[in-house]
Amino acid sequence: MRLGVLALLAAVWLSLSGPYTVHEWLIFAFGVVSVAFVWRLYVALDRAAGGDSEFFRASSWLRLPRFLVAFALKVAAANLHTTKLILAPKIELHTRLRRVPASQKTSFGQVLYANFITLTPGTITLDLRDDELLVYALDAESEADVMDGSMDRDVLRLEGGPD
Amino acid sequence: MNGALDIVTTVLLVAGGFFCVVGGIGLHRFSDFYQRTHAASVTDTAGAGLMLVGLMFQGGLSMVTLKLVLVLAFLLFSSPAIAHALVKAAHGHGLALELEIEDEPGRDGDAAG
Repeated sequence: MRLGVLALLAAVWLSLSGPYTVHEWLIFAFGVVSVAFVWRLYVALDRAAGGDSEFFRASSWLRLPRFLVAFALKVAAANLHTTKLILAPKIELHTRLRRVPASQKTSFGQVLYANFITLTPGTITLDLRDDELLVYALDAESEADVMDGSMDRDVLRLEGGPD
Repeated sequence: MNGALDIVTTVLLVAGGFFCVVGGIGLHRFSDFYQRTHAASVTDTAGAGLMLVGLMFQGGLSMVTLKLVLVLAFLLFSSPAIAHALVKAAHGHGLALELEIEDEPGRDGDAAG
C-alpha cells in the first residue's frame, strides 16, 4: 500500500515536471528528493493515524469511475439548487444543523464522506465525531440530499461495502 | 483546433464564469458567515470545474489535459478542507449560527466539546 503511494507520487512528479531528456541529472535528483520527502511525510501521517489506509485497495480504484459519476451529478444538482437560492428575488433560507451518521468503516471513508458533503453547495460539515457528522444546511432541500443517505451509500460502495 | 471543440469550450467557459459570478453575488446577498461559505463553494465546484473541463477540450489527449485533471483533483481535495477549517474555527470560537432547526441540541455536546 505504502509502495503504491510512492509509485503514485513518482508518477505525478514525472508527469508534471519530469525530465524529458535523460541528461537532466540535477532536475532528476530534485525529483527524487521531493518524492522521497512527501512519501516519508505520508508514511509518518499514516502511522500516526493508525495505518488504516487499506481503503486504497486496487478494487477501490476500479470502483472510482462510478463514484465520480455519482459525485459529479450530485454536485451539479446541488449547484443548481444553490444558484436558485442565490438568484431568488428574496433570499429565503431555512438553515439547520443536523447530526448525520457516517457508516464508513475506515476513517478515510468518513473523511471522504464529510468532504463530499462540504463540496456540495448548500451543505457543509462542521464536525466529525464518534461516527457522526455535524452538518449545516441552507434549507430543507439541501438537507434532504444528505439525510436520504444516498451520498453515504456512494462512499460506502467505493469503500467496498454492501451494494 | 476544429470548430465543434471550440464551441464546447466556449459554452463551458461561459457557464463556469456564470457560476463564478453567482458565487460572488451569493457572497454579498447571504447574510452571515456560514451562509456565505455555501455561496463560495458554488465558485469552487461549478465555476472552477466547468472552466477546467472546458480547457481540457482544448488540450485534447495530452500532457496539458493530464495537468488540468490534476489541478481539478487537487482543488477538489483542498477546497472542502479549507471550507471545513474555516467553519469549524468559527464554530469553535463561538460565532453563533442562525438556525431554524437544530438536531437534539446538547445531547452530548457540552460533555464532548
